Amino acid sequence: MTALTRRHAAVAPAGIRERQRLKASTLAWLTPASALLIGLFLVPIGYAIYLGFTNLELLGPTAQNYSFTGLANVRRMIHDPVFWSSVKLTLIFVVGSGIIAQTILGLALALLGQRAHVTVRASVGSVVVLAWVLPEIAVAFIWYAFSQAGGTLSVLTGHSNSDLLSTAPLLIVSVANTWRGTAFSMLVLSAGLRNVPQEADEAAQLEGASYWKRLLRVTLPIMRPTLMINMLLITLGTISDFTLIFAMTQGGPGNQTAILPVYMYIEAFQFNALGYGTTIALALMLIGALLSVFYIRQLRPELRRAR
Amino acid sequence: MTSTSLPGQLPDATDSPVDTRPGRPAARRVRGEPGGHKIIVSVIMAVLGMAFLLPLVWLILAALNPHATSGLSSPAFSLDNFRAAFQAGAGRAIANSLYLAGVSTVVATVVSTLAGYVLSRHYVPLKGLLLVGVIFLTGLPVTLLLIPIYQIFVKINWLNSPFYTSLVLGATSVPFAIWLLKNFIDQVPRDFEEAAAVEGSGQFQILLRVVVPLIMPGILVSAILTFINSWGAFLIPLVLDSSPGDTPGAVGIYEFITANGQVQFGPLAAYGILFSVPVIIMYIISSRWLSGSFSFAGGVKG
Amino acid sequence: MATISLEGVTKSFKGKTAVQDVDLEVADGQFMIIVGPSGCGKTTTLRMLAGFEKPTQGQVRIGGKVMNDVPPKDRDVAMVFQNYALLPHLTVEKNLSFGMRIRREPRKAIEREVRAVAEMLGIASLLGRKPAELSGGERQRVALGRALLRKPQAFLLDEPLSNLDAALRAQMRFELKRIHAQFPVTTVYVTHDQVEAMTMADQIALMNEGRLQQVAPPERLYSEPSNAFVAGFIGSPKINLVPATVLRDGEQPVISLLSCRVPVNGDLGSVLQRMDGDAVTIGLRPEEIQPCPAGSNGRPAFQGLVELIEPLGSETHVSVRVGEEILICRFPPRSGLETGATINVQFDPQQMKVFDTASGLRLG
Repeated sequence: MTALTRRHAAVAPAGIRERQRLKASTLAWLTPASALLIGLFLVPIGYAIYLGFTNLELLGPTAQNYSFTGLANVRRMIHDPVFWSSVKLTLIFVVGSGIIAQTILGLALALLGQRAHVTVRASVGSVVVLAWVLPEIAVAFIWYAFSQAGGTLSVLTGHSNSDLLSTAPLLIVSVANTWRGTAFSMLVLSAGLRNVPQEADEAAQLEGASYWKRLLRVTLPIMRPTLMINMLLITLGTISDFTLIFAMTQGGPGNQTAILPVYMYIEAFQFNALGYGTTIALALMLIGALLSVFYIRQLRPELRRAR
Repeated sequence: MTSTSLPGQLPDATDSPVDTRPGRPAARRVRGEPGGHKIIVSVIMAVLGMAFLLPLVWLILAALNPHATSGLSSPAFSLDNFRAAFQAGAGRAIANSLYLAGVSTVVATVVSTLAGYVLSRHYVPLKGLLLVGVIFLTGLPVTLLLIPIYQIFVKINWLNSPFYTSLVLGATSVPFAIWLLKNFIDQVPRDFEEAAAVEGSGQFQILLRVVVPLIMPGILVSAILTFINSWGAFLIPLVLDSSPGDTPGAVGIYEFITANGQVQFGPLAAYGILFSVPVIIMYIISSRWLSGSFSFAGGVKG
Repeated sequence: MATISLEGVTKSFKGKTAVQDVDLEVADGQFMIIVGPSGCGKTTTLRMLAGFEKPTQGQVRIGGKVMNDVPPKDRDVAMVFQNYALLPHLTVEKNLSFGMRIRREPRKAIEREVRAVAEMLGIASLLGRKPAELSGGERQRVALGRALLRKPQAFLLDEPLSNLDAALRAQMRFELKRIHAQFPVTTVYVTHDQVEAMTMADQIALMNEGRLQQVAPPERLYSEPSNAFVAGFIGSPKINLVPATVLRDGEQPVISLLSCRVPVNGDLGSVLQRMDGDAVTIGLRPEEIQPCPAGSNGRPAFQGLVELIEPLGSETHVSVRVGEEILICRFPPRSGLETGATINVQFDPQQMKVFDTASGLRLG
């Protein structure tokens, strides 16, 4: 608090502050944001919750005259093997390529970066970040080329004749996604590492702890909130990722990479089932919400202490 | 301080005299343990770096080699691929992306600055709830909104319009921008605004003349993030705007891949580079301006 | 034998030399305090002892063995950091037992020893708490406890009391001395506070701008400072340093000081023999300047104006302006003086310290 505000606060005790009037400018200036958010977020969300239980279609009779169908879509979803496979793929993709791979690689780069030569750190850091800044479509086709027959990855792994994207689609898109996303973790975790008090690490050194022991028992525990937030953000970002996989495989071959967002698109805009597509989207949101709740519970002790 | 800004450079590891002011965490770079660790670590990091570099190397080689394949091309220098990319519509597509990203950024930034300022400075009933709501919206998967928005746009005939599409793009960036700007403005002392108010400036004047210059770094960060986000937009334009002349870069590239029978990697790589260059330049400029870093949850004291 | 020695130790960072050519010996069981103003290199020296910095030149020995290339964890030293460096995610008990658990000592022994140390330091009731819930003084004791439990060859303490309030500091000074008496482990303690140094040390090493100024027990540092810096740093209120000139009166050197002429005899006289017109600085401790008694007694005296009176209860600090200089004097409590009054003060020339103005070194 600055001297000025302190003076104001002294003159106007807390009670009076709370009874401030609502200014005209407040409403005026909140209006554009509210209009956008209400119109393009809240209303669609509400509408989606309705649409998910209808038989709306893209074309045909039920495009105009669609009706509420109760739990029909839900029942369809429960009995839809592609849906469940999609859920599984989504979780594998998010956890494997996102949480595990990106966190480990990002952490490794952050830790290495702490001790590496300046030039090495700066240049490797730039390259990794460059992969992140590249538009997603570019990442998609680069790795598409990489994993084709004759592509660099195929050659390097000794399968120069096979189209890796067809034989191991989920793996390839996961690698592509990790390549693209690691920079985020690297930066977030670097910042988190910097916030670990050096004295705590030095104290542990004096107690005889080796590097790995210090990493596991001092550094990572102190970084726990940063790690959790990082994983939360990775999860939210990856779970709704459409472009990369769609551009590379369109969900195929034969639904092998159809994570939920891709499956939703296919059902909605290729099979015309807009209503059912919305149901899938709602399921996706539910899964995201559950995962978020999980992370937030992990963060609760720290949040409580910060208060 | 929870300033969230663009990914900046990694911290500097230059040797510097010890900073022993009380309460400084990790003010020094990790040094000290005797041994050749630095070399080993640097080598490992360099190896990882090269693994990351490989796809980018392919990209550049393929763009410059008129006979590019899916494998690594031999170094050459030819602009044929770029010409082919332009013939395939790269110029138009990039112009469209510029429009989409530009409009969405302007809209989102203006809207978020106003809202962020209000949420930071003014009394707002149920402010806490609103802020939680904003944070919640930040994490919402856009895929949920796609179909309902599409349906609404069909009804009110807003489909196939670059303008309305960019509104949607802007809207998707607004929650995060509001949160970012609000936090940024929180850190700025109110003295300047109060001084201006005492001098008789009106609300809006204060905002424009006093506040905006002060928070310019935050505004720029928000704008740049929104721009980069909207530039690469794929799904939303794909669904909301199917006019052939309106295709933005990402969709254009996708169509290029799927259109021809055999993928022409050379022109494709060129198209990709053309499409990526603006964003890369933007990132470089901004990270030089604002050397910041992500600093979430530095809140655990010890 | 846990002796510590620094031999010709120098530490430079890019372009800046933090520690220059330090030779220091700490005997087994001795409490050595390195003291000096901010930036004098004392913390860097300590960190070289701990192993967090490597000397650019010179050797660090602990227990007789050269430790330059030995990592901190193998040096068998314990350190108490300025900010305590407690692991924030662990309870007090887990913090205390951290080292022993790393070394895989038997659980029963760990519990027993942790409890014993906690009792001794008065923190037994805090074992289940986390550092964030403790006060500064309590965290301090946990840090101490952790160091004690290490049972090291040597203790290193980096300004451990500087974050505590004055009352707590005084109490902790007492406790630290008590603990050292009970566990006479070789200790190197760094501080910028000369009061801590004077009250706690067996030996003091005074540093300034990277160089050792003097190493001596507290009393000798006070009464026989090796240069003007040492004289000025040690002692509160600060010693009065007055510019003067050495003149020749026939065969005898005479110091001309504030309109007084002080003839110089004996050893000091022979040192000053060869000087004529040289500038020197005279050091007079505040307690060495006293009001003149009625009737002269042969001591040099000045007349001055009382500028400031600071009564402390047990004594009074009076600032007296003599010519262009202000002398701070320590007078008995009820001096009956008033600001603006004229006063005559005198001093014993045997007690004065003479420093060469150019080099700062003490001449006598």
